[in-house]
Amino acid sequence: MKLFTLTLMAGTLLVAVTQAETPNSGHAGHDAHAHHTPMQAEPVEHGHSLFHLDAAWQTQAGHVFKLKELAGRPTIITMIYGSCTTACPVLVNDARRIDRAVPDAIRDELQVVIVSFDPARDTPERLADYAADYEVDPERWHFLHGDPADIRTLAAMLGVRYRDNGDGTFDHSNVVTLLDAQGRIAERNEGLARPVEPIVEALVTLRGSRQAAGMAAW
Amino acid sequence: MRTLLIILTLALPPAVAAEDTGIVFIGGGDWELPIVREDTGAPKRVDDFLLDVRQVTNGDFLDFVRANPQWRRDRAPGIFRDARYLSHWPQADALGDGNAAPDRPVTRVSWYAARAYCREIGGRLPTMTEWEYASEKQRETLGVSPEDYAHELFSWYANPGAGALRPVSEGPPPGLGIHDLHGLVLEWVEDFQLVLGRGDDIDLLTGSCGDTARFLPEFDEAHYATFLRFQSRSNYQPDTTTSTLGFRCAYDPE
Repeated sequence: MKLFTLTLMAGTLLVAVTQAETPNSGHAGHDAHAHHTPMQAEPVEHGHSLFHLDAAWQTQAGHVFKLKELAGRPTIITMIYGSCTTACPVLVNDARRIDRAVPDAIRDELQVVIVSFDPARDTPERLADYAADYEVDPERWHFLHGDPADIRTLAAMLGVRYRDNGDGTFDHSNVVTLLDAQGRIAERNEGLARPVEPIVEALVTLRGSRQAAGMAAW
Repeated sequence: MRTLLIILTLALPPAVAAEDTGIVFIGGGDWELPIVREDTGAPKRVDDFLLDVRQVTNGDFLDFVRANPQWRRDRAPGIFRDARYLSHWPQADALGDGNAAPDRPVTRVSWYAARAYCREIGGRLPTMTEWEYASEKQRETLGVSPEDYAHELFSWYANPGAGALRPVSEGPPPGLGIHDLHGLVLEWVEDFQLVLGRGDDIDLLTGSCGDTARFLPEFDEAHYATFLRFQSRSNYQPDTTTSTLGFRCAYDPE
């Protein structure tokens, strides 16, 4: 898996540049107002790494994935469900807007994780379709299917509240979170269609402070 | 081992099974939380489930920590527990007297730790609805009036007894066979962060009197006593540990 990622790294930049030139598709929609009030997010712990969660997830490609594989690179992470037509497409598009707004050198490394809290419906196959709809780089974008208990744990770590309404819909918080290369929460955007600048600037700052200290980029 | 016990439980009348296995079968039914949610329509269906007869003890939790040393207080990642996690134990892997004795309910455990324990033995934390449903069914079975329920809860809340906890499951199992639902320590539930209904913007702790009134279908002491339990849940974070908060596990029927 890791070797696979490395061999494709060279092609990543090209893909990313191509995507940056793609105009915003209508897919994500511009309705920033969900049909019902979202759940407020909980406060979170910033000092500790989410990589301690040792859960085994499945990617849209059907590969087993653990959060600690993200170590060494920054990550944008958000939680959605696939059949959601209101807030979730906006959240995924918000992640994509950030991905497109960062400098190329950061984008090369930036990982994006989209976790479904609807594992019954959002199978890896369905998440693959979902990912394809968004035309994002499958090497850096990971759409994750997981065990319900692990999903609840991750949500708690991210301060995301969600509830299965039993009718195919979920109430949930709308949060896009930036993890640093050690898996700690560096920045959060709560809400929909928020300005991308706070997270983009946090990414630039993270990278800058590491370079100033003579460390590897991340 | 647990799986075997669960099957046994299903095969026997609940009262008998509870004595033998430590797990009681709770028959489901249509039921609504005693706190009004904005989206309440028809009563919600509660499915059958199984519940521990007693709260998890220090002794139980020590066994878990020894088998899973990543949950020792000196090894558990900080993201999973606050600084007081298991701090009442004299050592990271040894129990003591009083509230640290093997037969006392384990306290100072985070939601993450409680869930890890239940998962290890093939269970899970009960949902808030399941827990409240069990509490209400037990009250009905015991024939405790809403007023007496409220008065017992108020006197416990006024003096939660963190100073000196009793051993768990003293005496014969009451009602449905569940010990210590009220009066010993509060208990974690799986979805404690979901206190209210759809689109809840209200912080229960700071909600005005008007907000409080909105959540109560009836303005009586029993509903207010129950409301206080919901209010304390809204004060927790998943890494919170306190001297008055423990847990028991639930299980899905096979």
